[in-house]
Amino acid sequence: MTRQRSRPVDVVALTLVAATAILFVCEILFIFLVAPIEARMGIVQKIFYFHVPSAYAVYIGAAACFGGSVAYLVRPSDVADAIARAGAEAAVAFGAIVLTTGPLWGAKAWGAFWTWDPRLTTELLSVLIYVAYLVLRTFAGDGPGERRFAAALGVLGAANLPIIHYSVQKWGGQHPMVITGRGGGLQHPDMKIAIALGFLAFTLLAVLIIWMRARVEIASSRLRQAEEDAVDLGLDTRTEA
Amino acid sequence: MTEPSTALPQGPDDRATSFQAVQGPAEPHYSGQVLLVTAYAIVWAVVILWVALIWRKQSGLNTRLDELERVIDKAASRAPAGVHDVE
Repeated sequence: MTRQRSRPVDVVALTLVAATAILFVCEILFIFLVAPIEARMGIVQKIFYFHVPSAYAVYIGAAACFGGSVAYLVRPSDVADAIARAGAEAAVAFGAIVLTTGPLWGAKAWGAFWTWDPRLTTELLSVLIYVAYLVLRTFAGDGPGERRFAAALGVLGAANLPIIHYSVQKWGGQHPMVITGRGGGLQHPDMKIAIALGFLAFTLLAVLIIWMRARVEIASSRLRQAEEDAVDLGLDTRTEA
Repeated sequence: MTEPSTALPQGPDDRATSFQAVQGPAEPHYSGQVLLVTAYAIVWAVVILWVALIWRKQSGLNTRLDELERVIDKAASRAPAGVHDVE
């Protein structure tokens, strides 16, 4: 019996990996060699070029989790569940970046690592919801009931996203509004290019990792099904090991 | 008798003649460079950790797949010819 072990090279995935890597190299070079140092904050302002795109990537992950969760609740499938789970992981990973790089910037700009500012608080809350989602998926089993419950959490988690976005406008606080505010924005053209590169690089990274993570999850579900089929056929994979 | 100067030195030739204690709580001072490098290090640490996690899960899948194939091959070799001919 001959079985094909190696999968065909996924050209789209490789292209995405190459494009993401090139974009990140360009972004780093641009941030440190071309983009000017900010007049009031100094060099620490350069955290902004990774911090803000990471926050945006949290929205991409959360949107994937929301989409996958809704799709799972409407019509349960391994693919929808995998996308929701991958999206939640992305939201937590990029959220961790946002919640650590932000305070490092705040230490210099505000003189404090953390304040209970509306945007900081709602962002932390949102990330904690996705942490709860992942804890549920990791420790509560993988049955249809657990998946449905997690999908409901994925839908509810997305409800917090508009609150994060509009918290600065509605409740004030110290968080800057350079991009979405009505102020001067980025005053130098190279600053605008640096942040645009950041958005592009982080969008590609988020899409790439969500896709790859979802593929691993789908493969895992199929393998679990194959293992169960093997056991049903009398091929006990656990005892034969 | 002249009062000691309290002004900060203005240049290399301007020698300080006194040290004074801070009045009230000292303001924390953070180096922008250190904060920037720490922030970027954290970004890459999170991304690398995440990719390593996916890699580990993929390795786990490969191990389970190998095991399943081994069991199926073993069963196929035990079965009479033609019964388990998957191809």
